[in-house]
Amino acid sequence: MVELAELSDRRTAPAADTPRPAVGGRSARLRTAAVSLGMVGPAVALYTVLTVVPVGVAIYLSLTDWNGFSTAVFVGFDNYRHLFADPASTRSWYVTAVIAVVGTVGMVGGGLAYALLLKGRSRTNAFFRALAYYPHVISALILGYLWAAILGTNGAVNSTLHRFGLSEPIGFLFDEKLALVSVIWVIVWAGFGFNVVLFVAALQTVPAELLEAAAIDGASTWQTNRRVVVPMIAPVVTVATVLNLVGLVRAYDLIVSLTGGGPAGSTQTFSYLILARSFAGTKVGYATAQAVFLMVVSAALALLVTALRNRQDQAAAG
Amino acid sequence: MGKAESAPRRRSVPVVKVVMLALLTVVMSVPVYLLLVNSFKPQQAIADNPFGIPLGELTLRYLSDAVHSPQYNVIGGYGFTIFLVVVVDVLCIALAGPAAYVIARSLRRRTQLLLLYFLAGTFIPGAAVVIPVIYVLRAVGLANTVTGLVAHDVASTLPVSIFLFVGFIRTIPVDIDHAAAIDGAGRYRTFWRIVFPLMRPAVVTVLILNSIGIWNDFVSPQILLSPGSGHYTVTTAIYAGISQYSTDLTKVFPNLLLAVAPVIVFFIYMQRHIVSGLTVGAVKG
Repeated sequence: MVELAELSDRRTAPAADTPRPAVGGRSARLRTAAVSLGMVGPAVALYTVLTVVPVGVAIYLSLTDWNGFSTAVFVGFDNYRHLFADPASTRSWYVTAVIAVVGTVGMVGGGLAYALLLKGRSRTNAFFRALAYYPHVISALILGYLWAAILGTNGAVNSTLHRFGLSEPIGFLFDEKLALVSVIWVIVWAGFGFNVVLFVAALQTVPAELLEAAAIDGASTWQTNRRVVVPMIAPVVTVATVLNLVGLVRAYDLIVSLTGGGPAGSTQTFSYLILARSFAGTKVGYATAQAVFLMVVSAALALLVTALRNRQDQAAAG
Repeated sequence: MGKAESAPRRRSVPVVKVVMLALLTVVMSVPVYLLLVNSFKPQQAIADNPFGIPLGELTLRYLSDAVHSPQYNVIGGYGFTIFLVVVVDVLCIALAGPAAYVIARSLRRRTQLLLLYFLAGTFIPGAAVVIPVIYVLRAVGLANTVTGLVAHDVASTLPVSIFLFVGFIRTIPVDIDHAAAIDGAGRYRTFWRIVFPLMRPAVVTVLILNSIGIWNDFVSPQILLSPGSGHYTVTTAIYAGISQYSTDLTKVFPNLLLAVAPVIVFFIYMQRHIVSGLTVGAVKG
């Protein structure tokens, strides 16, 4: 329905789009409008049907007890009430928050440290930056399987420790506390390189005169970085922080392959809970309520990025 | 600031730098080293010493087993994934290009709202929207079909693509369009023949962003194509294979190597474009 409204809305719109030939009466203008509509229409229609409508469907289903087969019964806000009462759900939010916050601190901190080290334009620096960056282009699912083969009970680390006489394997993925640490480690390992690249791009715009001035004043490298360089790129650091948070709140693929949410739900993120538990358990109504809630949280964080970026643009313009 | 003071400082920085770079090299390359070496070793050799290279025992057997495995097949997954990437890329450009052109060239407020409408899509996490998408696809008769997956993937690539295109088209002088219009070219012609060729950098960015996104996507093909459909992408093939044989490292390592190799080669070859493309996509998108 939304797309129909959108289309008729555009059809009634007078044609004033540029470019417009100097001559042309009402019919020519209408033709231009029709052509414009033909150019935006398909994209608007597809996006509406497969992105906007599903959000509406999710909101509707979240108010029902539907299991995917039966007739849906309207249950009001029961699913949302359950969302805050269900221990599995509240625990997964705790897990997600820990992963998002600690992971972001690790990625931004690591990214900043290596960016300061590798900001130069030499080939060696470019090589090390690529080395830090490459996991970013690999699917998180595959990285998770690779690290499971390294950290698992019969994985590379434990077999090596065994060879050196350690009798019991370390439960990197099977100890409730360690598993969360391992998940965060893999996330930081895979994601800090992206931050390195982001920060290096910003660092290369810091005027050389500033650094020279700091050097003339006798500032050490540490002092220059802390007092001059980092404050200069602070806006980029802020945006990167929120970007990392938004990405980590959605963590799913890596959890599937690295821990399967285990042991005992200790690494079960909210996205994982939605797809692997609620949805797979045919609790569609509840799963969509969780999905809607995740959308709201993601949107709030994403709006934060936009607001920060706008402020940054204004600061740059002013 | 005497010489005695600055000299040790100048030396202390390289020490920190060397240690940090050594750490970086080890931490980033060990997983790839293990992946490479253990893809050619029997289970016992992997268990005995995963870091070792037992020259006598190295074999192509397990890699060849992985290539020929009937149940799940990463190589078979290449074909379908490449198909998916190409079709989604082409359709995305075909839809996003003209739409972005109209939005970028219009001064009307309503058209600008259209850009916001698309931008709202970037706020929606894939894992959350994919469940209701199933029911929408079911309603239009595309549930569990490749067409349905392609349609969903194209829809999900539109917001960022349109946003990047609009930003780029606005940097192209409108005079070019006017000149084309005076020469009698219609809007479609003006866009595809005159403006589109000038958009090369933005098109490359969008292609890289979408290609890597679709290649690595796991949620959409997992949820929108059931195993019964017979279509596996690289990620769903890996998932099907490894969740079954996770303790058999002679199956895990070779399959992962097959899944990672094309991406790594592509990355090395196109590094500069990929890094800048993904950065622009993430920051602006």
